[in-house]
Amino acid sequence: MPQTIKRTALCALAGLALSAAFCTPAVGQDDILRPPAEAGRLGGRLVVAQSSEPKTLNPVTALDQPSRDVIRRLTADLVHIERDTQKTVPALAKSWTATRDGKSLTVQLRRGLRFSDGAPFDADDVVFSYKLYLDEKIHSPQRDLLIVAGQPMRVEKLGPYTVRFSFAAPYAVAERVFDSVAILPRHLLEKDYQEDRIAKVWTLATSPDRIAGLGPFRLKQVVPGERIVLERNPYYWRKDAKGQKLPYLDELVFLTVPSRDAQVARFQAGETQAISPLSAENFAALEPEQQARHYKLFDVGPGMEYNFLLFNLNAGLESKLPAVARRQKWFLDPRFRQAVSAAVDRAALLRLVYRNRGAPLVTNVTGGNKLWINAALKPTEHSEAAARKLLQAAGFSWNRDGGLLDASGQAVEFSILVSSSNVQRSQMATLIQDDLKKLGMNVHVVGLEFRSMVDRVVQSHDYETAVMGLGSGDADPNSDINFLLSSGQSHLWRLDEKQPATPWEAEIDKLMQQQLITVNYRQRKKLYDRVQEIMAAETPVVFLASPNILAGASQDLGNVRPAIIDNYILWNADELFWHTPTGKH
Amino acid sequence: MKRSSKLAWATWFLAVLLLVVIFAGFFAPYSYDTQDRDHPYARPSRVHWVDGQGKWHIRPFVFATKNREGSFTEYQEDPSQTYPLRLFVAGEPYKVLGLFRGHTHLFGVPVPGRIFLLGADGFGRDQFSRVLYGGQVSLFAGVLAAVFSAAAGLFLGMVAGMFGRPLDDVIMRVGEIFIALPWLYLLISVRAFLPLQMSAVAAFTLVVMVIGLVGWGRPARLVRGIVLSARERNFVLAARGFGAGKFYLMRRHILPAALGVVLTQMALLVPLFMMAEVTLSYLGLGVGEPFPSWGSMLANAQQFHVISSYWWMLLPGLAPAPVFLACHALADVFQERLKTAV
Amino acid sequence: MIRYLALRLGHGVVILFGVSLLLFLLQQAAPGEFFTDARLNPQISEETVKALRAQYGMDQPLPKRYARWVMSVARGELGYSFAYNVPASSLLWPRALNTLLLTIPALIISWLIAVPLGVLSAAWRGGWLDRFFSAGTSVLLALPDLLLALLALVIAMRTNKFPVGGMHSLTAQEMGLWSRFTDLGWHMALPVAVIVIGSLAPILRQVRASMSEVLDSPFMRAAQGHGLRKFTLLFRHALPAAANPLISLFGLSVAVLLSVGLLVEVVMSWPGIGPLLLEAIMGRDLFIVIGAVMLSTLLLVLGNLFADILLYAVDPRIRVQA
Repeated sequence: MPQTIKRTALCALAGLALSAAFCTPAVGQDDILRPPAEAGRLGGRLVVAQSSEPKTLNPVTALDQPSRDVIRRLTADLVHIERDTQKTVPALAKSWTATRDGKSLTVQLRRGLRFSDGAPFDADDVVFSYKLYLDEKIHSPQRDLLIVAGQPMRVEKLGPYTVRFSFAAPYAVAERVFDSVAILPRHLLEKDYQEDRIAKVWTLATSPDRIAGLGPFRLKQVVPGERIVLERNPYYWRKDAKGQKLPYLDELVFLTVPSRDAQVARFQAGETQAISPLSAENFAALEPEQQARHYKLFDVGPGMEYNFLLFNLNAGLESKLPAVARRQKWFLDPRFRQAVSAAVDRAALLRLVYRNRGAPLVTNVTGGNKLWINAALKPTEHSEAAARKLLQAAGFSWNRDGGLLDASGQAVEFSILVSSSNVQRSQMATLIQDDLKKLGMNVHVVGLEFRSMVDRVVQSHDYETAVMGLGSGDADPNSDINFLLSSGQSHLWRLDEKQPATPWEAEIDKLMQQQLITVNYRQRKKLYDRVQEIMAAETPVVFLASPNILAGASQDLGNVRPAIIDNYILWNADELFWHTPTGKH
Repeated sequence: MKRSSKLAWATWFLAVLLLVVIFAGFFAPYSYDTQDRDHPYARPSRVHWVDGQGKWHIRPFVFATKNREGSFTEYQEDPSQTYPLRLFVAGEPYKVLGLFRGHTHLFGVPVPGRIFLLGADGFGRDQFSRVLYGGQVSLFAGVLAAVFSAAAGLFLGMVAGMFGRPLDDVIMRVGEIFIALPWLYLLISVRAFLPLQMSAVAAFTLVVMVIGLVGWGRPARLVRGIVLSARERNFVLAARGFGAGKFYLMRRHILPAALGVVLTQMALLVPLFMMAEVTLSYLGLGVGEPFPSWGSMLANAQQFHVISSYWWMLLPGLAPAPVFLACHALADVFQERLKTAV
Repeated sequence: MIRYLALRLGHGVVILFGVSLLLFLLQQAAPGEFFTDARLNPQISEETVKALRAQYGMDQPLPKRYARWVMSVARGELGYSFAYNVPASSLLWPRALNTLLLTIPALIISWLIAVPLGVLSAAWRGGWLDRFFSAGTSVLLALPDLLLALLALVIAMRTNKFPVGGMHSLTAQEMGLWSRFTDLGWHMALPVAVIVIGSLAPILRQVRASMSEVLDSPFMRAAQGHGLRKFTLLFRHALPAAANPLISLFGLSVAVLLSVGLLVEVVMSWPGIGPLLLEAIMGRDLFIVIGAVMLSTLLLVLGNLFADILLYAVDPRIRVQA
């Protein structure tokens, strides 16, 4: 289940009108294809598990993570963001040049490439693919990414291997938008498109010879509910330093194993040979047998996920939800939120939930985001005394039994909503509840199934507080813009704001808009540092902790370089190889 | 002879169990939510009679435990520090039935010592205490749901049996639909609908009552069968001949006959509904933290690291067993009584 | 006979309709729907979500949606899965077969074990064998199925003798027919064992109870008096006479074929209908849920029907009534 809401730097720009200020054109790229770190040997099969079966193999309609994980192994994009360096590298595009005004980008395609069914690839395929993504009738989830300043981008063929993309407004990081937009085979799909059937093609029931892509693998077999088998794409275009065609693996198999814990059991038994993400507890349980069972575990360090306690600060609840509105009075006082933040024992939380494989948070910027974190900000210190002082200053008092009362003498009692299927967040809620009990707050933890919970937070606003987590999709301030902007779609503490409700939210809005059009890193960093300062001071949500990215793989698997952006292990599936001849041990 | 003794022990057993669970505050050394953040996943405490110097003691005791270097959940005993086990000790305050306050516990060790009879969970909470408190949810959920569905079944079954068509048809068809419905689905919708301010226990009780109400199909069917056959029995026919009304007949003659069936059904339904609670909580839809239930405690075992490293976390799975045994024994007795009575 | 069957079938159809209607009403009541998730995803605009809902007809009133669904049932599609973007039936059938692959052998094994043991228990009531079995069934009844499933998983993880889940080895494709068969059996062993252990006790008890009743009846005493061999007596004469309640129970075990393995399937990740149903419930994939429940209901109806037919064939009294 996708528990973390993902987004990318690109989507942040979607729908936002960029001010007409200057954007420097992107520099033309040379055709640098970085070869794999280690030249491998051909052969073998890699088995990994997925939490649920991919819903579709159709890149145009895929929404869920398992589908995307499989599709990205089957297809290729024009320009790719490399997961470990987070830099853009040329993929199907050999090079690109942007015009001075930043409003268009011309892409030169690689020549002589073939789809996995042997059919040649050229500019028509690119134009066709983008036509599908942009078609209003198809409702591709990718479409919203390709809209700049409210208008879809225009795609024209300039020659058999040249395509021009033009935007309604200057677009500084335009080439990043191409990442993960899969190029489709026109020769297979054009008829379906003309007959309005695109949304229904490439399901799991489609025969493998009707599916073709430009990725390292191609579909071999689907066993419903059980597994998906991919095989080497003989027409794949990447080569290693020795000139050996990639990928090295003969087969890549995705098993459907519903629970994360069952996945760990399979990995331990050697039935799967790579696993990510791992919880810290399961990581610890796997650790002792690393040698005996011949696997290796990786702690990649802090990732991009940030967990926080969210307060319902939405306006206009008095008539609709009087019970929530009554409690909102407390939450709206920053001193109350700061008191909660001071009362939360983050050290205990890190130890008990993440076995210290994680880091405390001050803002949404995690330790994994080394370029952008404001190092001057220190995590809130755990202090019951400080929390009591803050509450006292805010007019709260305690009764004889130690229960906390607000200024009007009402007992402080509220609920924390949490997704019951997320073990870590449920644990956090339980710990917070216990911490707040010491302050005399009567807190209930309510575990709801994920969808009901999201429905309350996003739709009905019928909640008081909630433990949630979000993940930045990219190490860039823009990836969290929807969380920070008062008009953003994931500005969770106060959704659907027409106007910034507080001066500091207005200031964040201004700073974020400004950094969008600022090119100089240091200037931009300064702006973003200020944003983090405000977030830390105002504590609209209480930031808790961020887990490290943990992964495991067989010791015999070569070129394993887990990244902190998903897919943590398979992002370089074309480079993975078996040291031993058959991939068996 | 044997049957009555079986009835006696099963009843006594259940009564004692209920008492222990109700007075969990007294029988448990700790509260269900007391965290000891230095002892996550502590093993069941070893109770000693011999101390570090090899000296025997009359009073059993436990050693202090410390984290083993470089590990989060492995502990070693420190024989230099002992905490004697005492009866009727003063400890954390608790409430019984939400009314009576107390702070005397049946047994305990002096702080900062800790005794974990069944080990500790990931927050260092005493599993033994949690099993006792958890019984409050699991047992009462089972009993309450069984009472509800038996009562609804009794009423609807009698109505169906007495009034015949077309009411009979309608009730029986609806009952069959309810038998076929998946309660899991029903429960998720109901749970998601309840106000959040409601305490987790209250919300869950309500949900259980809903399952109970939905579970009336089977008992109603059986009661209806009894009513139909009783209607044709000679004494009922005779009473009808004397001009007895429907309600009189129901109350005087048919209800007693149906009660036996209902009791048997209840004895069988309690385990069934308790199992429903366990399953639901296992799937994460049961009573919320921090209040335990036998199902939610077992749900921890879903996690790989728990099932592979901490065997004592499976022990709460055995907690329902004695209750089930007693309930099945009761059902047997009732069933045999019915047979001899007919 | 025809009239009787037609009547029972009619009941079945009414039940199927009722269940589907209730499910539709329930899903209407539950908050959140499949597209809630999409709404939180900033990559997807409000309009896209709206359009998707319209595409699946989710913006239409309930009666219309129900009518749409009934039409798709008539086409054999059982509605459409939002998540998988294919007709629900194409997801449900293969998984239902996997589930049956697990539960039918389990059912057969349970009955094969329970019937002889029950008969023996009843024949020597109060004897050590009877006491042993009754204690055994009490223990089995007292153990939560969930605990059994978890224990099976622990066994698999600790011993490494059994697979920790799934249905086939990956290499099954390259194996010969016979080793594929044994591979499947090897994967089935633990889940089937859990289901058998879980369903054994009630059957055994019922067999014992009905047999006891028959053995106490005058005609059996008379037969005993005639000096028939005990074996013949038990299995040729007593067992058929005790068959009526057993047939009903058998109908019931047919009825739960799809649901009895749900927990085991989830715990041991067997690719049956259980994990799919759970995922669909959590994801609000409406038609999968309805489809799975409808299949389950269909089996219930068929199981009852099956039992009715058997009873009709076995018991002449019913024929008179009908």
